[in-house]
Amino acid sequence: MIGNGIGTVQLKRSSRLLIPVAKNWAVIFLFLLIAVFSFTGRGFFSLTNFQNILHLSTIFLLLSAAETYVIITGGIDLSVGFVMGLSSVLSAKIMQLLHAAALPQPASILIGSMVGITISLIPGLVSGALIARLNVPPFIATLGMWGVTNGITLRICQGFPISFLPSKLVELGNGYLFYILPGRAFSFLHKPPGLQDTQIRELIRIFPNSLLFSLMVLFILWHVLKHTKFGQHTYAIGGSMDASVRAGINVKKHLIAIYTLSSFLAGLAGVFNVFQTGIGNFTPFSAMYELFAIAGVIIGGASLMGGKGAIVGSCIGAVMIRLLENGLSISGVEPFYRFIAVGLILIMAVVIDQMFPELF
Amino acid sequence: MDPNHSSENKKGFLIFLGRRWALIFLILECLVFSFTTEAFFSLRGIQIVLFYGTTIFLLGTAETFVIITGGIDLSVGFVMGFASIVSAKLVVLFTNMGVSPGVSILVGVLLTWLIGLIPGYVNGSLVARLNVPPFIATFSMLGITHGTSELLIRGVPAKNLPYLANAIGNGYFIYSVPGKVVSFFQKPEIQRGELLLEIIPNMVVIAFVFILIFAFILKNTKFGQHTYAIGGSTDAALRVGINVKTHLIKVYMISSFFATLSGTVYMLQYVTGKADAGAPFLLDAIVAVVIGGASLYGGIGTVGGTILGCLILSVLETGLRIMGVPTFDKYIAVGVILILAVLIDQFFPELIHRED
Repeated sequence: MIGNGIGTVQLKRSSRLLIPVAKNWAVIFLFLLIAVFSFTGRGFFSLTNFQNILHLSTIFLLLSAAETYVIITGGIDLSVGFVMGLSSVLSAKIMQLLHAAALPQPASILIGSMVGITISLIPGLVSGALIARLNVPPFIATLGMWGVTNGITLRICQGFPISFLPSKLVELGNGYLFYILPGRAFSFLHKPPGLQDTQIRELIRIFPNSLLFSLMVLFILWHVLKHTKFGQHTYAIGGSMDASVRAGINVKKHLIAIYTLSSFLAGLAGVFNVFQTGIGNFTPFSAMYELFAIAGVIIGGASLMGGKGAIVGSCIGAVMIRLLENGLSISGVEPFYRFIAVGLILIMAVVIDQMFPELF
Repeated sequence: MDPNHSSENKKGFLIFLGRRWALIFLILECLVFSFTTEAFFSLRGIQIVLFYGTTIFLLGTAETFVIITGGIDLSVGFVMGFASIVSAKLVVLFTNMGVSPGVSILVGVLLTWLIGLIPGYVNGSLVARLNVPPFIATFSMLGITHGTSELLIRGVPAKNLPYLANAIGNGYFIYSVPGKVVSFFQKPEIQRGELLLEIIPNMVVIAFVFILIFAFILKNTKFGQHTYAIGGSTDAALRVGINVKTHLIKVYMISSFFATLSGTVYMLQYVTGKADAGAPFLLDAIVAVVIGGASLYGGIGTVGGTILGCLILSVLETGLRIMGVPTFDKYIAVGVILILAVLIDQFFPELIHRED
């Protein structure tokens, strides 16, 4: 008995220390990774590289945010990667046609993006309706849309990326808010005119446009999930479907809205992808965007059982995966190790979650 | 005639159809392709279906076991790629050491089967002992096997396999010149212009030997019963005294064994090893299991049903290819069939599930 008592006291003392560590392990691990890579990789710890990591994370931030909502309700959306491909290819195709018809660049970009985003609502509506109204398991419904959207995408682009798009796209997608040439020039959104090559090399670029874009979208999503009724209902449905029905939440409508939102965000990611790469690319099988997005959400502390998860956590998870890839490649590690690393981190995330259930 | 009786009859007929909708769909599919193309309804056409189907048959069987327990195995595709690379590397290694091609292929393949149990053991341990959700555990394993296989080959597909591998992988079980010779495995000498019938690809024979063994195990042994019991209710299975943890580990090992098997089959068929050899088949395998009547919630499913599902997919793919329809449309069709399969299951549960 006495031994037992001491044991619990010790456990309490050690867990008092452990609680903050285990609760914030993802943040701690992120800083650890940054510290390690700063020593192993030349040029890792620099403004340029950090901005680069965030710039390359944009798509995954959007997809992970989409999955966060879905996973909180206890579902899963496997179609995001291919919905993203569909909206990429579709918007690029329209931009290409309008651009070829000599429409002004901003107009063709705007129309193309709008169409891509609007069409991307449809897969979400369909899978939401299948899940909510016809009781199809989310895994199956979204796997079905995975096949359908992939087929339609490949049909539109015939298996080739779509190019010859307006040149302004890439300028916007890969541009920065501020450009500073120390002591000489400062400009907003555009590079200062009339620079020589050597000066361009010295140019300091601050705050990528893509970061502004993703911060805006993520802020709205964070606010909705944390401070509105819609967010509360999302958690309630994930916690207990029956209880939410009894509490008078229109679960069916809510689920359809959630899957449509997820699909919309995937569409947004697809259009952004066109801005970033300047081509409309379909999603190859090996990309597995949806799985990496889900991995980010799980690292961020969500549970596949539903009822748990947060936008900030998912963002940390999504950035961690990109940071890991970037850090490993800068440190000269072969790129293939990153698959293994992501797998191991994912297992670690869940095992930590399992070991300290009372902490979360 | 008693009207009540005739409506009973009608319902009985509907139940009969409802339970066999997958089979009926398969027959319809075959009929359509037989009429729209010349090449489909022939010995050759049917064997192409089987040849391309081998991978899905094996991965589908792997997935069946896991799905019956209520889990999912996302790693099968890349475990298959991993196995194709490991076996190719081993065979090349042995032949370079001067071992005869036959022995080195045999030993290489057997060793790969052993190595292939490791991912399954890890998956199973994570799921059973550490309570990691199957989705996460097997996705991590997907990353790990993908990375490891890329490291093994460093971007270049494995090559320099002995010619015998090709002969085994693309050979046939029975060769016959009608009315003259029948031989097994060996191609007989033939004169020019003579018709040589090649019947049943070797790899299909090997695949079905294992599939039948495990179908038997699932259906008729205690092991199979326990698998269904765990899928039906883990708590109940625990209370009955089933060692759920060990059992789950075994199930994930079976899944990974079948993935490995299909990896070695791939190595023999295509005479190479590729990391993403099985990547596109993950979806097909899961779809086939679901079409075959299994439920992702566990407790339901049969190997026979899965094979039927695999045949539907394989016939679809082969038929569309022979018709010259772009393969993109296959994905749309597969997605739609998947959702239809579940909807039929949802709307007519009393037709499909026996009440005995």
